[in-house]
Amino acid sequence: MHSLTAFSEPVLRWGGDPSGGAPYVYADPANPQTYTGFDYEFAEALAREMHLKAEFVPTDWESIVASLQRKEFDVIIDGFEPTEDRAREVLFSKPYYLFRLQLTVKRTDNLITSLEDCRKHQKTVGTLVNCAASRLLDQGGYKSKAYQDPVGAYQDLELGRVDAVLMDVAGEMFYARQNPKLKAVGKPFQTGAYIVGIRKADTLLLGRVNAAIDTLVNNGTVERIFRKWQLWDEEQIKLRTTKEPVFEMTNTKLNWSEGLIKLLKAASVTVLLAFGAMIIAVILGIPLAVGQSNGGPLTRALCTVYIEFFRGTPVLVQLLFLYFGLPVIGITLPGWLTAIVGLGLNYAAYESQVYRTAFQAIPERQWQVAYSLGMHPLLAFRRIIFPQAFRIALPPMTNDFVALFKDTSTAFAIAVWELATAYRELANATQSYLGIGLVVCCYYLAMSLPLAHYAHKLEQKLQRKSTGILSSGADK
Amino acid sequence: MISIKGLTKTVQNTALLCDVNLKLESGKILGIIGPSGNGKTTLLLSLCGLLPFDKGEITVGDTCIRAAESSVNSEKLWAFRKKSGIVFQHLHLFPHLTVLGNITEAPVQVNKINRTEAEDEAKVLLEKLGITQHMNKYPEELSGGEQQRLAILRALAMNPEVLLLDEPTSALDPIRSGDVRNLLREFAATGHTVVIVSHSLRFLRGIADYLAFMGKSELIEMNTTENLLNNPQDDRTKEFLHHSELN
Repeated sequence: MHSLTAFSEPVLRWGGDPSGGAPYVYADPANPQTYTGFDYEFAEALAREMHLKAEFVPTDWESIVASLQRKEFDVIIDGFEPTEDRAREVLFSKPYYLFRLQLTVKRTDNLITSLEDCRKHQKTVGTLVNCAASRLLDQGGYKSKAYQDPVGAYQDLELGRVDAVLMDVAGEMFYARQNPKLKAVGKPFQTGAYIVGIRKADTLLLGRVNAAIDTLVNNGTVERIFRKWQLWDEEQIKLRTTKEPVFEMTNTKLNWSEGLIKLLKAASVTVLLAFGAMIIAVILGIPLAVGQSNGGPLTRALCTVYIEFFRGTPVLVQLLFLYFGLPVIGITLPGWLTAIVGLGLNYAAYESQVYRTAFQAIPERQWQVAYSLGMHPLLAFRRIIFPQAFRIALPPMTNDFVALFKDTSTAFAIAVWELATAYRELANATQSYLGIGLVVCCYYLAMSLPLAHYAHKLEQKLQRKSTGILSSGADK
Repeated sequence: MISIKGLTKTVQNTALLCDVNLKLESGKILGIIGPSGNGKTTLLLSLCGLLPFDKGEITVGDTCIRAAESSVNSEKLWAFRKKSGIVFQHLHLFPHLTVLGNITEAPVQVNKINRTEAEDEAKVLLEKLGITQHMNKYPEELSGGEQQRLAILRALAMNPEVLLLDEPTSALDPIRSGDVRNLLREFAATGHTVVIVSHSLRFLRGIADYLAFMGKSELIEMNTTENLLNNPQDDRTKEFLHHSELN
């Protein structure tokens, strides 16, 4: 139930995701210290009606149910829809708003006029993760792509990374309706409801919340709030006339065999990302290492800036920058390619340092011996220096590759459907964090263990040949 | 044949070599002695074309390198480098190659000799120094003395006109140093030239035809081994010999 602090008046702590959360709940652009949004106003009104003080707890949309269970807040108020799977975890209040879905396409698109067209023409539909629209798309067998927030979805629609976006009218109105490059097609369809989510045990709280919603609906408070946000329509009258919810409930049931195949597909994307990025890193690391060690002052400085930049900023931020930042200057890469390039650029910085250390470990005299035997620099490098340096570089490179494997999970941020994204999606949809989590870990291990094993074998093979640099037998 | 004229090398206002002059005919062995840090190793590096110098010229066989040519990787300089082989004090064998690989790498890669042929030649050399049984081992598996003989064979495999050795006796036990001495004698007897930098007067006395004493970055004096040891001319040589026992 609500937290009872001895010192202050009782509060109603409610959870919502303010990132890309407009018009539900978001940081007020005019005053970024405070939040605004229709859910924010509704929560304030609800708490007041219950004689509590509303306290907003910002949280992550995708794992909002899990956060409720962990008692980070008392109720979910965030355009939260009732679904069958959530019904197993959460109590639903009466609805306080009835929403519909709206399909949006590019203004120049004349092919898609309905959701059915998307299926027919094999078009990709973007939406939010873990919402009514994403479930509808999943069950209908549409090609879809799920985003963490509406901004990314509509931006990718503009850039042509997806062909259409399906979202609640509330989100669509705020993010797409005014955009001259986009247009809504067809009428809003499929009624769903926003309700307040409450922990299973808090039946008492449920009763109080329902009573308060009844009051707010009937005394016109809800209407006033949603009119202000231009989201009021005739549909909402039904809230007053019926006590039973009139919405459709979408459901997802995990079909394990289907789920495993889905995860397997995601795992193959992870493999592709890891290998693609490693190839870039291993190759690009060479000129960086050479430039930093042997280049002129300018080359040296540029290489150092590159290396320090990529090592000193989070890879997640770099991916977001490449994905959303580069289109501003006209470079639009698909998500998977962005992930490969981004991770590749990042790890190149690390590999360059591995190479540098390895080559610095080879004594200058090895070069001199090779020269005195008549070997030109390239031959000396290829036959004498490189094989020795490679032996030194191999263990750290293997470590980096295993680390890179795990870092591919950051690609979820740019809506790449890799293993970690698949885990979040499936687990959120089914609330089966534990079972699916174990399966996902097994997949990761099945990929990284053989890799580590093989690398270890290779190291041993090289070790047998010799343990690195020969210690001199002629030490005095 | 080696001829050095006016060789000078300065680094950051410090003279490492100052007007060094030296001449050594083919078939002879020269030992260079002198206190540590007096430019003996620097002289060896210049002599085999690995260290650019500022003034003077070095002639090995029919190739003469002037100061200006010593810092540019020209075909001439590469040809010059191939004329001498060097064995460093710390050997610097190739740890990733077998004993046989260490010897054949340069003949195969640089001279483009057929690998089997190169290996046959290498086996003859290994036989001479008694390390044939180790030919498929890696350098780290050898004893210090074996490693040193390998380093010498690696240099000899390229058939240089001149062989340069920096402190070769530090790794040798007395019995084995006899093997090395014989090998170097035989090498010199076939018209080659050998220069050895060593602290061991005893070793040099048994092998060198000439001795040269290096003072601070200068070549003070050079004479036949017996003459220099018994009748040194310069005071600095006398003092050095006085403090060195024949060890």
